[in-house]
Amino acid sequence: MNHNYIVMYIYASLKSISVNWMYIVSNLMFPVSLMIVVGILSQGKLLPFALVGGLISITAMSGVNSIAYLASLRFDFLYRDLVVTTKTTKMDYMFAHLLGEFVWVVPSIAFYFILDVIYGLLTPYTFLMTLLLACMVSISSYSIAFWITSRIKHTRNAWPIGTVLSLLLITVSPTFYPYTYLPKYILDILTILPTTPAVVLAQGIFGLTPSLPIQWYMLPILFVETAAYLLIAVYTTQWVEK
Amino acid sequence: MIEARNLDKKYGNDTHAVRSISFTLDKKITSIIGQNGAGKTTLLRILSTQLLPTSGTASINGYDIIKDAARIREIAVSIPQESRPIYWFSPTILIMLYLGARGMGLRESRRAADKAIKKVGLWDSRDKMAAELSGGMKRKIFVAMALASDADIIFLDEPTTGLDPLSRIQIWSAIRSMKGQVIITTHYMEEAQALSDDVLMMNKGRVLSQGSVKELLKPFEGMVRVESKMRRRRSHKVGDTWISYVKKGKAESFVMEGDIIKSITLDDLFIKEGVNLES
Repeated sequence: MNHNYIVMYIYASLKSISVNWMYIVSNLMFPVSLMIVVGILSQGKLLPFALVGGLISITAMSGVNSIAYLASLRFDFLYRDLVVTTKTTKMDYMFAHLLGEFVWVVPSIAFYFILDVIYGLLTPYTFLMTLLLACMVSISSYSIAFWITSRIKHTRNAWPIGTVLSLLLITVSPTFYPYTYLPKYILDILTILPTTPAVVLAQGIFGLTPSLPIQWYMLPILFVETAAYLLIAVYTTQWVEK
Repeated sequence: MIEARNLDKKYGNDTHAVRSISFTLDKKITSIIGQNGAGKTTLLRILSTQLLPTSGTASINGYDIIKDAARIREIAVSIPQESRPIYWFSPTILIMLYLGARGMGLRESRRAADKAIKKVGLWDSRDKMAAELSGGMKRKIFVAMALASDADIIFLDEPTTGLDPLSRIQIWSAIRSMKGQVIITTHYMEEAQALSDDVLMMNKGRVLSQGSVKELLKPFEGMVRVESKMRRRRSHKVGDTWISYVKKGKAESFVMEGDIIKSITLDDLFIKEGVNLES
């Protein structure tokens, strides 16, 4: 593994934060506006759900946003062509960009943790579990983004796919409302989206929904999904052109 | 040294970009010349392990481009024609990123990037965002990447396309200072003439001829090119101009009013082969 590239990409991301700080703010916009809408419509009742789900959705958004970013690196900057002819493998490339993107999400995650503290939701246990869930959602959503980017033909295709994916991962999946609102079969279908098992588990961990066995099935499901999306991305992405 | 045997590349059923070509490149700087669509970029992409050939083989310093692709990526650098710098990174960061991709550590890459940036004349702009740089400066970032890599083989696909004359000369001098074997593609004949020890002429996926500029121009020794608006004996039509080749001494008696006499360049190889040049 070329860890030098991974370190360098994280370094490059950190160095460019000062000129791209608006990107951090834009990462927050979608979950925060949904949180406000949900909070107002439910007269505050669903606000804790939006706070917990918001944190998960921030990491999912980071993956979704990478579709356009990765597509632009591939088609507009031809950056991938440049990297293909080096010792960097597609796995290195993927991890470097995943972690490089994650750098941009850290301030938003911190923002949500602060909100969770203010609302008295955060304990050391919920903090660690949420971090674990956020990491898995980040890996799986980024893997989906990486796989999609290798399949599309133009940068323009990235935008609508990104929009649909963010709708599925963040709005359709029960990130901002109790999963118990959903009929069982719908929840089963939505489990294919990595945000669903993560948020079902998170709602249970934070004590927002009654403790049910289904919540604990979600942890192995999320593990398996994360591994599956990662493997699909790594093994089915065409790196050297035929 | 680069050796290709019956290298062939087809895209689907329609496009035959490289047609079973064989050659050996062992000089310090080789220019692959040809008009747009001649197959230069495809050839470079195959040799730099970016694209798989349909058939045939090629080796770089004894390493097979398919079986030993990983080894080739360690010893060779390839700068694609249309690569653009990620505009929110600075030249220093971009070069360091590239060196990191080649496996260099943070400190070592910083040192190498600084050295290369000085050499290509980007020092004053090293920490600016790439978006703020001119086209020539952006191109220099990629040349600096190749310089800083200190590779044995350097592939540069049209490194000076679209640049002003001054920037081109600066890039030429950076190319000359590279330690490894350099392969560039270009459709600027004066660039090939100014830089190359060896020239590979391509047209429609085939190699037309290969040799030093002097060798290639030998058939034109002692001749000049006469461009005329009227058809002359044994002249070639390029656009609306008729081109004839005459002995230097006879040129005065051959020309008519409005004719232009020009020195022989690599362009004339293509004109002789009946290729309509764009440059």
